[in-house]
Amino acid sequence: MTLLELALYFCVLSIFSVGGLPSVMPEMQRYVVEVKEWMSPAEFMQAFAVGQAAPGPNMLITSLVGWHIAGLTGALVALAAMCGPAAMLAWWVSDVWDRLKDSPWRLAVQRAIAPIVVAMILSGGVVLATPESPDWRLWLIAAATAAGVLLTKVNPLWFLAAGGVIGGFLLS
Amino acid sequence: MQVAPPRSLVELFLGFLSIGARSFGGVMPWAHRVMVEERRWMTPEDFTETIGLCQFLPGPNVGNASIVLGKRWFGLAGSLVAFLGLFALPFVWVLTLFAFYADFAATSPMLRAIVTGVGAAGAGMFIGTAIKLGWPIARKPAVLFTIVACFLCVAVARFSLVIVLPVALGLALVAARRGWL
Repeated sequence: MTLLELALYFCVLSIFSVGGLPSVMPEMQRYVVEVKEWMSPAEFMQAFAVGQAAPGPNMLITSLVGWHIAGLTGALVALAAMCGPAAMLAWWVSDVWDRLKDSPWRLAVQRAIAPIVVAMILSGGVVLATPESPDWRLWLIAAATAAGVLLTKVNPLWFLAAGGVIGGFLLS
Repeated sequence: MQVAPPRSLVELFLGFLSIGARSFGGVMPWAHRVMVEERRWMTPEDFTETIGLCQFLPGPNVGNASIVLGKRWFGLAGSLVAFLGLFALPFVWVLTLFAFYADFAATSPMLRAIVTGVGAAGAGMFIGTAIKLGWPIARKPAVLFTIVACFLCVAVARFSLVIVLPVALGLALVAARRGWL
């Protein structure tokens, strides 16, 4: 039953994931950790970390939540639920979008969505930075990485690696 | 530059498989590299326009691109093949990595500390990306207000996105039509 609940919820989140996984990260954390208590805050953050470090679309983090709840079936169901509705929408909208090329509504939709997506991504970062109680060491790593992303063009993978090294020194 | 779409479903599958397999640290740069530079399936302009649409749609960017491009080139079969190609290897790898991690984390506080550090860096990447995206548009007061209001609702008050998003989108659409955003 938990799996069915998870699948239905991820289907809804799928439609809301404008801007990709980062936009729904704060909501997923709220639901999985705070409302349903399927994972502890630390477990959720570690699934997030593994998902970020692994190659591939970071949407795969959802399959780790599914894996935690119901093994391989859970992983497949979670990923399918999270990608399916959005994929169907993309399939359908791609033609409509081309036809609306010069419509003022297309511009209005783009302008309206941009600031909301920015706010969701920012929320995702802030919510995930210190999963349990506020911790200056984690804030330091997050702030340094944010600065690195803003000021350099280095492959982000190096920042994840640096975060791991600093974490190893400061947290253990 | 001479560009030609993939000739067969197998070629489409292999192309997306190689995007997924190599996409450490972000899928988009690899999608560009494979489809525009290596296999020359599309022009850079076409790529940018397709990704633009996919960014505005819900779902993973390049996942959406696999659906849209697969459909353009081979219809429904193309969408399915491209999507599966993109996700197949990363899916196996992320689960393998997580399974290993779960085995070792119980006994190694050092490993837990490293992974927590990676998580904090990942969160920092989100924050940096948000600032990068928000900076050029936040000059308009209504844009800044929308960002701050949505942030307070979601990150501080922890309201559900299922409520915040429709309300915010409705108000933002009105504001955008009036030229405030």
